[in-house]
Amino acid sequence: MLIIDAKNVDFYYSDFHALKNINIEVEKNKVIALIGPSGCGKSTFLRLLNRMNDLIDGTRMTGSILVEGENIYAPNVRVDELRKKVGMVFQKPNPFPKTIFENVAYGLRVNGNTDNTFIEERVIESIKSAALWDEVKDKLNKSAFALSGGQQQRLCIARALAISPKVVLMDEPASALDPISTAKIEELIYELKKDYTIVIVTHNMQQASRVSDKTGYFYLGELVEFDDTTKIFTNPKEYSTQNYITGRFG
Amino acid sequence: MRHLEQELDNLRQDLIKMWRLVITQVTNTGDSILTFDKDLAMQVSMREKKVDAYELKNDSNCENIIALYQPVAIDLRFVLAALKINSNLERIADFAYGISRILIANPSMILDAELITETNLRGMIEQVNKMMYQGLDAFENEKSEFAAAIFSEDYIVDEINNNAPRIIANYIQKNPDRAFECLHLMSTFRKMERIGDHCSNIAEEIFFYIDAKVLKHSPKK
Repeated sequence: MLIIDAKNVDFYYSDFHALKNINIEVEKNKVIALIGPSGCGKSTFLRLLNRMNDLIDGTRMTGSILVEGENIYAPNVRVDELRKKVGMVFQKPNPFPKTIFENVAYGLRVNGNTDNTFIEERVIESIKSAALWDEVKDKLNKSAFALSGGQQQRLCIARALAISPKVVLMDEPASALDPISTAKIEELIYELKKDYTIVIVTHNMQQASRVSDKTGYFYLGELVEFDDTTKIFTNPKEYSTQNYITGRFG
Repeated sequence: MRHLEQELDNLRQDLIKMWRLVITQVTNTGDSILTFDKDLAMQVSMREKKVDAYELKNDSNCENIIALYQPVAIDLRFVLAALKINSNLERIADFAYGISRILIANPSMILDAELITETNLRGMIEQVNKMMYQGLDAFENEKSEFAAAIFSEDYIVDEINNNAPRIIANYIQKNPDRAFECLHLMSTFRKMERIGDHCSNIAEEIFFYIDAKVLKHSPKK
């Protein structure tokens, strides 16, 4: 079943044509990695999936993006509702200046949830899903800033999971982490795909090959190749993809 | 040149050096059996250790490249193919060594010239030498179409090998006192036939490396 279906997507930053006729179909419970050199459009495309680019002046998009069959750029779509369905984790851990518990409860509270029992259950469940429970169960009321970088990033993932999204977007989620924390995030992605669909942007080719089912290679705003990760990393169709993944690019 | 490219090039050069050495081993062992040249056979025997040293070096280089550079796509296929070609070349050299040992262990052995002609041992040796060169040519020039010819050459080798037992059996019946030499000749045929098979394996690896095609266990005609 398709959970994301991007059709003929073009995107502009004022006059700059940042994405050119992008077509991607993403199946449910799959991990999709987007790779490509800096400025190729992969993060721009990722941010289109939960309308993060709406806030940038002078941007324009044509084409359509369907999430669970609904066009997320239709005029009647409420962006806050969309973001409940499509959560996001950023490159640098960005916990709120609150306790560990309140960081994860935040999304539930701003969405009007007042049932404290439900909130507590959901917070614990999300922290467990983010593989952080054993490390924080005795300090839920401590500041999130007391955690290490890797723990903070998993806390941000727990925060994204608390509102039960269908899709989790990750923009280089491990680039600021040490190898142990990176390995934990990668293990977590593998576990999370049982319940979520994940789209990850990464500059780390090995990470893309380790965690994803499908990989898309972007270059100069075009989706050069989108195929099974095993195919991309053993026998890519396009010469340009091969040059990029083997490091011969440029 | 990037670091990985340098490492891949070093591996390629070492493999080519080993390949040339193994070709010399096969050519010399063939010549030695056809001319009963014990000195040449001794040379083959003594060089066997050099082939083994190349095998270990290439194995170690492949392991290091995989561990340190995590090659992908054509680079990964190259390293995997190099690993298998390395092992096939070592086996070929083993057979060449085996043939040379026959001559060294039986210095007084002389094979009947007529029998050699009738069984076409010379043709088989030439065919196997040709296959060895075709493989190296395909690898050096990255042309899988050069390797394709090896598969049909191997059928010729197989045919010569299939005909040999009948001819040799007839000869033994007529010349029972030459049975011992004939058994060694039969063993030489078997070894040459196995060298041909390893050349085919190498051709398959060249296809895998260059065209990403897996030809193993599939009809080649």
